[in-house]
Amino acid sequence: SCSPSEKLDLDSWKKVMKSGLQEVSETVPENKELSTLAQARETLEMWRLAGRSVPENISEEQLKTFMECPSKSAKKKYLKYLHLKELYKKSDKRKMDEKRERRLETQERASKTDETKRSSFVCLWANSMDRAYNWRAAQSMIFGQPLVFDMSYEKDMSIREVANTVRQIVLSEGCNRRSVDPFHIHFCNLEDNSLYHKEFVKHYREAWGKLLITVTDQCYTKVFPKDKLIYLTADSPKVMKTFDHDKIYIVGSMVDKSIKTGVSLARAKRLGLDTAALPLEKYLLWNTGAKNLTLDQMTHILLTLKDTGDWKKALEFVPKRKYYGFVSKP
Amino acid sequence: VQPPEKPLQAEEWNRLRESFRSPEKFEEVMFNSMVRCNSSIDVAKSLLTHVAKSNGDIAYNLLVKYLALCVQQGQTSEIRDVYDIMKIRFRVLESGAYNLLIRGLSNSDQWRMALTLLEEVKKIMIPSRTNYESCIKAASRHQEMNLAFELYHDMLAKDLVPTLDVLQAFFDFSRGMKGAELQKELFGILLYLRENQIYPHKTFMRSIKLWFESIPGANWTGHLTKIKDSGQCPVCNHQLEESDLTEEEYNNLRERIIRDVIHGTDTFRKTSPQEFEAFQTFVESRLPFDIVIDGLNVSHIKPRKMQCENLFDAVNCLAKENVRLLVLGRKHMLINSSNWKREIMKEMQNKADFFFAENISEDDAFLLYATLQSGKHCKFVTRDFLRDHKACLSDSLTRHLFRKWQRGHQIVFSPSAEGKHINFLPAFRYDCVVQTTGDTWHIPYKDAFEEKYSYRVPRKWLCIQQK
Repeated sequence: SCSPSEKLDLDSWKKVMKSGLQEVSETVPENKELSTLAQARETLEMWRLAGRSVPENISEEQLKTFMECPSKSAKKKYLKYLHLKELYKKSDKRKMDEKRERRLETQERASKTDETKRSSFVCLWANSMDRAYNWRAAQSMIFGQPLVFDMSYEKDMSIREVANTVRQIVLSEGCNRRSVDPFHIHFCNLEDNSLYHKEFVKHYREAWGKLLITVTDQCYTKVFPKDKLIYLTADSPKVMKTFDHDKIYIVGSMVDKSIKTGVSLARAKRLGLDTAALPLEKYLLWNTGAKNLTLDQMTHILLTLKDTGDWKKALEFVPKRKYYGFVSKP
Repeated sequence: VQPPEKPLQAEEWNRLRESFRSPEKFEEVMFNSMVRCNSSIDVAKSLLTHVAKSNGDIAYNLLVKYLALCVQQGQTSEIRDVYDIMKIRFRVLESGAYNLLIRGLSNSDQWRMALTLLEEVKKIMIPSRTNYESCIKAASRHQEMNLAFELYHDMLAKDLVPTLDVLQAFFDFSRGMKGAELQKELFGILLYLRENQIYPHKTFMRSIKLWFESIPGANWTGHLTKIKDSGQCPVCNHQLEESDLTEEEYNNLRERIIRDVIHGTDTFRKTSPQEFEAFQTFVESRLPFDIVIDGLNVSHIKPRKMQCENLFDAVNCLAKENVRLLVLGRKHMLINSSNWKREIMKEMQNKADFFFAENISEDDAFLLYATLQSGKHCKFVTRDFLRDHKACLSDSLTRHLFRKWQRGHQIVFSPSAEGKHINFLPAFRYDCVVQTTGDTWHIPYKDAFEEKYSYRVPRKWLCIQQK
């Protein structure tokens, strides 16, 4: 297609690439021994250039965690996690900025038209809602049915699993507070300065001391009569038929990413407690996924059961991907 | 996108790029498809030239993709050029580029350069096993067996598992070569197969056979055969090794089973301390058993039959010649039901000892304990492959011991017995593992390259003897 006069010089890219040689070798002293950290940082940078899932910025601490990963695949996984975290953060920031811009725009427009609305209420929604919720939670602390979170699984989890657990419990506490008739939540076996505790403080900050829940380092068997306790675990051979308003249900605060079957059942066996599993098979046509649910899903289900006793309504909180549909005649 | 047939001018690339739906990724996508279609490197060069001229630089990922194309086509001088350029531009390279460079150069006449690169990789990370594979193959292809073995040992020292391909390459390239040192190294590979209970596949087995037969003046001959149930080789009449563990290995295994499988992190997960203690006293008072049966597992052999009938048949079938039987079950078997008739259960209890565990306990753990406690002669019956229990053992050495013990002591239900009667395959009398007596070698091999099930033991053997 091209005439000989405009013949391409196919190797001219090499000349371009080599032309920078002088400057580069001046700025980078040869044979300079790099510290292992710096070396790792450089390797990461190269991976990023090669298009792998690697974060753009990595802190010293993260770099150390990265180097302590026991295997190549663990390293890859950790980097991918950091990379995704970075992406989420970026897109969140972008969305926030867009939102702010939009808000400013509407404000500007509103100030131009200068319209004042008349209303009999002062706009203090969030604040007054909070007060109403707290009132209910305080009521539940006196009259409410206890719900126990068993915080004795720290040794069975990795650091990330503990962080995930605490996140799920924070969500659980949130949905409990907003419900019509909240549980009186107990965190049992929670030791000061445990990983759980540190994560809680990280999440709640000053609010940690003001939460309307009961926190204790004692075991639930010390706090409640044994015959009232029922340990909820997916491994239980017994299936829950109805929600009992006189019992105290215990949920194990554990996120189990690797398969550790029977850990919470073992706890209940050791203490001689009654156990129960949700009747998932009875009501749902199961598709895929483990039968263990997240802690906030459990809380939602238990709250719904307490208020309505309706299994179908309660099991709506099981993730949709895990089942095909409801059994027509349970 | 389809890459062009011929090198393009800058304007032509520009036009293509603008017609592409996401122009910022155009070069990357184009290079990927060039690698896929194995385009001529001139086309790739023309794109690189275009990029270099318009940006003044070429991104690292494009260079790597170009390198992949060169490696694919064995363009040695280009590979070297790209390496030089990368070295100028970047202080360190990452593993992807090194993989390509080592693979590309090891297949060329500049294979020694690949060795230099391997050393370079070692400075920043542990090379992958494919890096070693390329270098080892290159060295042995050029008859530098000493160098190849040096790399091989280096690799083992770094806890990398060599591929069967590499091991086979050693046999292929040593064919017809003489030397006591070389022979010792290759025997070493066979012993590596033995220690790790690896079975070579058919083509690998052929390489081993051909190598043995090619050793000048050694007079080895190889035959393919099947070993008799008695453990005798039909070709050379040699009796294969028994699968018994040594006293020390046996005790070691027993202790590890109790510690890792039964107790694990929490005794309550599989049983309870009271129950386990009760079981221990039960077993101690009636030792030794000859056969331990997993009652529930056996009761499911024929799905159409009542479960207790299946168990009854199995017990009758095994209860000959004064053998002492122990059947492990769960408490629910004692409750009269459609599957578990009380009379039949009663009758069985006259022929064998029974232990009933809690319904939520794991009977497999008891099975292992009772068998190991009874001594080396004791066998066990289950169709379970016990993989989850093997996985509980913490180190690979004990896992190997477990597999060896399992091969020699597990009685499985014979799948061919479609008829009324239940039949069992006896446990192996000989150990299915690479073995030697000095002037004979017996090597079990797999038929297919990719064997689906790791627990399946090959039935075919290569017998090699020295005349």
